Amino acid sequence: MNLAVELLDLCLDWEDQELQVQLSLSVEVAEFLALVGPNRSGRGLLLRLCAGLISPSRGTVRVLGRELSQLSEEELVALRLRIGIVLQQPGLLSNMTVFDNVALPLRYHGAMPESAIQSLVTARLDTLGLTPLRNRFPAQLNAGEARCTAIVRALIMDQELLLLEDPTEGLDAEMIQRLGQHFAECRRTRSLTILATMRAFSPLMETADRVAFMRGGRLEAVARHQDLLAMADAGMKQYLTAPGIPEQSL
Amino acid sequence: MAVVAWLGQRTIDGYTYLVDLTGLVYLSLRELVTPGRQGRGEALRVITRQILFTGLDALPVVSAIALMLGFIIITQAGTQLPKVGAGALLGNIIVVVVIRELGPLLTAFIVVGRSGTAIATELGNMRVGQEVAALELMGVRVTRLIVMPRLVGMVIAMVCLTLYFDAVAVLGGFVVAKAELTVPFEVFAQAVTHSLSLMDVVVTAVKSVLFGMAVATICCHHGLSVRSSYTEVPQQTTRAMINSVTICLILDILVTVTAYF
Repeated sequence: MNLAVELLDLCLDWEDQELQVQLSLSVEVAEFLALVGPNRSGRGLLLRLCAGLISPSRGTVRVLGRELSQLSEEELVALRLRIGIVLQQPGLLSNMTVFDNVALPLRYHGAMPESAIQSLVTARLDTLGLTPLRNRFPAQLNAGEARCTAIVRALIMDQELLLLEDPTEGLDAEMIQRLGQHFAECRRTRSLTILATMRAFSPLMETADRVAFMRGGRLEAVARHQDLLAMADAGMKQYLTAPGIPEQSL
Repeated sequence: MAVVAWLGQRTIDGYTYLVDLTGLVYLSLRELVTPGRQGRGEALRVITRQILFTGLDALPVVSAIALMLGFIIITQAGTQLPKVGAGALLGNIIVVVVIRELGPLLTAFIVVGRSGTAIATELGNMRVGQEVAALELMGVRVTRLIVMPRLVGMVIAMVCLTLYFDAVAVLGGFVVAKAELTVPFEVFAQAVTHSLSLMDVVVTAVKSVLFGMAVATICCHHGLSVRSSYTEVPQQTTRAMINSVTICLILDILVTVTAYF
């Protein structure tokens, strides 16, 4: 079994949120795993652990075959070039257009000549229907457009692993459908692994290979979406079926 | 006892602050000389933008202030010195007051007010908007793409602006003050060039390089010190401005003492 992400006996005390994360989880190469759960369930922390932004108190985090605790700062930077990360705030550079934002990693890392960058970025923007927005600045985008731009930027260097925090927030149905198709294409053609957190049901969840349900820092169940629905209690079902943000907190 | 503790804490804070600034200067200069093409093109774009914003866009305000300063000093010196029989010292006064001291200092203050605050605000907003975090996640080194280009751009702009300020203050000031003076331009120009030595030009250039480095580093440091709230941005910007002015004055004293005593 070829694993892209492996979390073993993980333990993290997060005092700010009075939360203790304890779990083991693995994600195969080219797999799409959706992490679902209520607020303060620890799904965001899990994503940050995989990105090497925080370290666990105990346990092992292995990403793309490298154990994060063993890496030097420079090795971690090198590993992050193979990982696309989009957190809740898209983090687009406000003084750059959509095109320049997407082209930035290519230009910075000197990956290819400018003509090739122009055609690659145009093609990638077109995939998610962002071409008409290429000359707009982030302040002129709505939340969904900004998120899609950030996702295109996160994948522009053909990253092997994509970590997404609430990727469908602010996206309309058409955008979500395009995103799902794009992810499926990337997984098929270049074995992209996706780990995405969601705080409510989204049509994107149904395209995931497996859905993991988290509550109170613990992993309660991991299964295919339909299987998870079959075994879910009423509280869990809200997150797996109901559209929008659940009113009742678990 | 509380006073001693307060003083001790202040000393430690000041020392830590200076160490942080020195570290940032070191990292930026290291980025400048590190081989490899990574980020060179993007950094060059930021440097160009910084030079245009700090240097070119500041020309009108620098011209106006230099003209007014030159007018005031040349008028005062040109009218008062002959009364005490020291008319021959006009050139010396202008070189010492305008070229050596006020030129570099006032240019630095203008740059702090215009560009330094802009840098601190921009970087503070980038911090809150998670733009800096996004850059780090993309493997982009913040010192290479954000700090170093601003430092280099500001140093180049500061040196050019200071020389421009001195020229406008001396020549423009003379033209504006001509109505009040009885000294012909040739005599005035000869007095200034006679008093001006290579040392003065070098010291002025050294000062402007140091001021540029200090202002850019301090403003970047405070901008990047913003953590999570937009209310921190104006607070850090104010601190950056005050500390920049203070450190420019301290550097000015150090250079003047080193060069002329």
